[in-house]
Amino acid sequence: MKIPITREFDWKLFISWLILVFFGFFAIFSASSIKIDDEITTVDFWWKQIVFFLISLFFMFVILKIPSTLLDIFTFPSYFIVLSCLIIVLFMPAINNAQRWLLIFGVRFQPSEFAKIVIILVNARIMSRDNISNFRLVLQPLIFMVFPFFLILQQPDLGTALVLLAVYVVMLIQAGFPLWNLFLLITPLISIITSFYIPAFIIFALLLIYFLWKKKYGVHFITLIMVINLFVLFITPVLWGSLQPYQQNRILTFIDPTRDPLNTGYQIIQAKIAIGSGQLFGKGFLEGSQKNMNFLPEHHTDFIFSVISEELGFIGSILLLVLFIYFFRRIIKNIFRSEIKERRIAMAGCLSFLFFQVFINIGMNVGIMPTTGIPLPFISYGGSNMLASSIAVALVLKYSQE
Amino acid sequence: MIKKKFTTSTAYNLAVILLFAIIAVQLFSHQIINGSQYEEISRRNYVRIRRVTATRGMILDEKYRPIVINIPSINLYFRPAFIADRQEFIDFLTSNLEVTQEQLERLIYDYRFRPFEEVLISENLQEGTMARVAEGMNRFPELLFKAEVLRHYIIPNHFTGYVGRINEQEFRRYRGDDLTRNSLIGKTGIERYYEGLLAGKSGYEIVQVDALGKSLRLFRHDLNSPPVNGFNIVLTINLELQEHINQIFPKDRAGTVVVLNPKTGGILAYNSFPEFDQNWFASGISTAQWNYLRDHELRPLLDRVVMGTYPPGSTFKTVSAAYAIEKNLINENTRLAFCDGGMRIGDRVFRCWYRWGHGRRNIYEAMSVSCSVYFYDISSRFNLDEFQEFAQNSFLLDRTGIDLPSERAGFFPRTEWYRNRLGRYFSTLGIRANLSIGQGEVLVSPLALASYYGAIGNEGVWHTPHLFREAFNENTFISEGIVEKHTKILPYSENTLRVIQRTLHDSVYREGATGRNARVQGADIYAKTGTAENPQGDQPHAVIAGYAKWDGEAEIAFLVMIENGGWGGSTAGPIARQIIQFYQDRVR
Repeated sequence: MKIPITREFDWKLFISWLILVFFGFFAIFSASSIKIDDEITTVDFWWKQIVFFLISLFFMFVILKIPSTLLDIFTFPSYFIVLSCLIIVLFMPAINNAQRWLLIFGVRFQPSEFAKIVIILVNARIMSRDNISNFRLVLQPLIFMVFPFFLILQQPDLGTALVLLAVYVVMLIQAGFPLWNLFLLITPLISIITSFYIPAFIIFALLLIYFLWKKKYGVHFITLIMVINLFVLFITPVLWGSLQPYQQNRILTFIDPTRDPLNTGYQIIQAKIAIGSGQLFGKGFLEGSQKNMNFLPEHHTDFIFSVISEELGFIGSILLLVLFIYFFRRIIKNIFRSEIKERRIAMAGCLSFLFFQVFINIGMNVGIMPTTGIPLPFISYGGSNMLASSIAVALVLKYSQE
Repeated sequence: MIKKKFTTSTAYNLAVILLFAIIAVQLFSHQIINGSQYEEISRRNYVRIRRVTATRGMILDEKYRPIVINIPSINLYFRPAFIADRQEFIDFLTSNLEVTQEQLERLIYDYRFRPFEEVLISENLQEGTMARVAEGMNRFPELLFKAEVLRHYIIPNHFTGYVGRINEQEFRRYRGDDLTRNSLIGKTGIERYYEGLLAGKSGYEIVQVDALGKSLRLFRHDLNSPPVNGFNIVLTINLELQEHINQIFPKDRAGTVVVLNPKTGGILAYNSFPEFDQNWFASGISTAQWNYLRDHELRPLLDRVVMGTYPPGSTFKTVSAAYAIEKNLINENTRLAFCDGGMRIGDRVFRCWYRWGHGRRNIYEAMSVSCSVYFYDISSRFNLDEFQEFAQNSFLLDRTGIDLPSERAGFFPRTEWYRNRLGRYFSTLGIRANLSIGQGEVLVSPLALASYYGAIGNEGVWHTPHLFREAFNENTFISEGIVEKHTKILPYSENTLRVIQRTLHDSVYREGATGRNARVQGADIYAKTGTAENPQGDQPHAVIAGYAKWDGEAEIAFLVMIENGGWGGSTAGPIARQIIQFYQDRVR
């Protein structure tokens, strides 16, 4: 076994993380304040967030200080702990129509946030095995993902479940899984989507056959792929028809939120108005009128980006985006600093986890992504989110030194 | 290897930058290209969801005569954010309306985080008040009138219950159920029980117009949805009969009258006296009104039909007689102890109401004159727990399951209950004697008692008493209520039933029968009177319960109970007669 070479601690990544978190404090302070004339009323979210930050800092410190081997031993046990937490959560009373929170010693937290981290570590371990065949590379991680995935779907938390899938795909790429095979893997997904419009499916199928032929695959293989895709094509309408109308509605609303204008549709509209009305320079810190008049929903959590955009304008939003880009580029650099395959895969998992959360959240704010309960890492108010994202950063900081 | 590293890393970087670029483009389009338009919208905020409130369903009687309707009402609201001078605003309202400074300050404080919501100040404004407030509208832009509806209760009663503004606690409990902080919801009675049917579902309109009133159409889809009005509910109540009973019941007396159809369990009249005017609640009850209702010595807020439980008195002798015959303790010819006005049990003399004594009697004679000594004597052969089970199986002790909230169950103690109170050594002889004539610890709700007598008249078949008959709105008709209706059979043999029915008939028609005042020409009356000792008051409660037959079929079961009314036969009896007479003349 290779002896880990101790390398430098990446201060740039750490500091850019700190800046993001501090940006979050101010955003939360503004989002939880109502300013009318010169009277400011603030709810105590911002200093609670500082407490969450200090807790996260402590956990980061612990992770950085304990030996990696100890951390590795805990990987699989913690998987089962998180899994049982996810099961218990289903029996908890619902908050905002979803059962996501678990109460332990008076502290409420979301096990699904930690599930993401643990699954990343478990899958990194599996994917990094020597001489693993492509078939096992795909299937074995799926076995570990399938239970948490459906438990999270049950809550229901479609957004987190999708982030899990995306993380899985990125980790496969990092593990060296051929891109072409990856594409073949997701062809059934494309079939599901095209099954609602048959001409699209025909074009897709013809293209698929053409490329398979070009790639010199055998007739048997091509037939197999096509049979699978045709099966999916025919079974999808049947499955769709067997869903209850409210379940169909839930899926359709996820794709097109304006179908449900009282809730998510209204949120989208108001978020758009908030962002747009910020214009170039914004309305100024604490001055966001959409927020002050309570038109904007969930200011301090899911829609905090709208508050930032409204108050700091285009310039402020772009500044935040640039900060995030810098932060992610540091992580990408760190991935390729490590020479241990498992660590690289794990870091790629952390990267994709954080990146998709950021992208889905901001995308939802600007109206290009469906509305899900996914918070903005480091910025949104919330202890579980803060802790889980910070642990991901700590893992990158730690692994990049090995 | 090095090359591969390079490409993956570049791919990541490209992906991050590309996806963020999409967001940046989107931001540019929102903030720079369309920024001024959105700025305009946000300044006026004319994208609003306007809720279109559904009309609450009416409540009708069996002949579709309205019992509860909606009438228009002008309500006054204010929006805290627009208050210019708080003290001036408060002074203006307190001098023109019946509100206090504390109430207004409380409202402003409660809505400090929702300053743009409309807060209700006063409902159903009268013309004079409205004119006075309207004069100040120019000075107080925070005030606004809204034309809404008010629930109106045509007759005072206890079964429909009433609606009221939702309170903070209810709002949190029913969160998400299409409610606003100003919603009216059913608080008691039918209004509460059938809230889901009555309320309907609000619709909404998304209003997006510019200053000239032109539609902006900023967002895709037609987002409007029309309201679905609530169901009108038809009850089994007969309004005429209900009102007639209101008139004939002695004024200044508390009590209850229940009339039901034993063949279905449908309730025709449901009176709990004194009735009170629910319109007080529907239009926002004043403190003075509330104090009056709360402190009234006859407790008008209590729904005596389902929430009042009373000692049944001699009306319970029917159960004792049925038990004795069913268990073969006596037969219809058995003559028991000689009644000389009382009976010594242990070291205590238990008295019969007729102090000169009834002599030796069989069951028919004893029931018709309500001789207590007869029952003291058979009670010595009773098994207390078995007797309790018998009463329970006669559906007298459990909740009947009527479609009203907060029904109370009856009470009949078992041996263990006495053991816990009286210790290890005690005799149930005296206790049983007392219970056999419906005195002592036994408590029964008037509704359960009426249903019981109905079941006897209906050859032992008991139906869940209920008020709901059908419901309808513009396009749907519901004939089955939400309530689970049960049909149960009294565990009485044919012989027992026959004997009991005859004793009830004799209690009205035999020479010197206590129920003779209930006789009605043309109908066949079966009834038992009762005079229940009342531990709280000096006068006993007067009761009569039974059923009336026409052409050999039991059509109504009735119960009349007058608190502190004196003798059952002489005060409750005549009222029962008038009810049956009215039913025969006007309802049948």
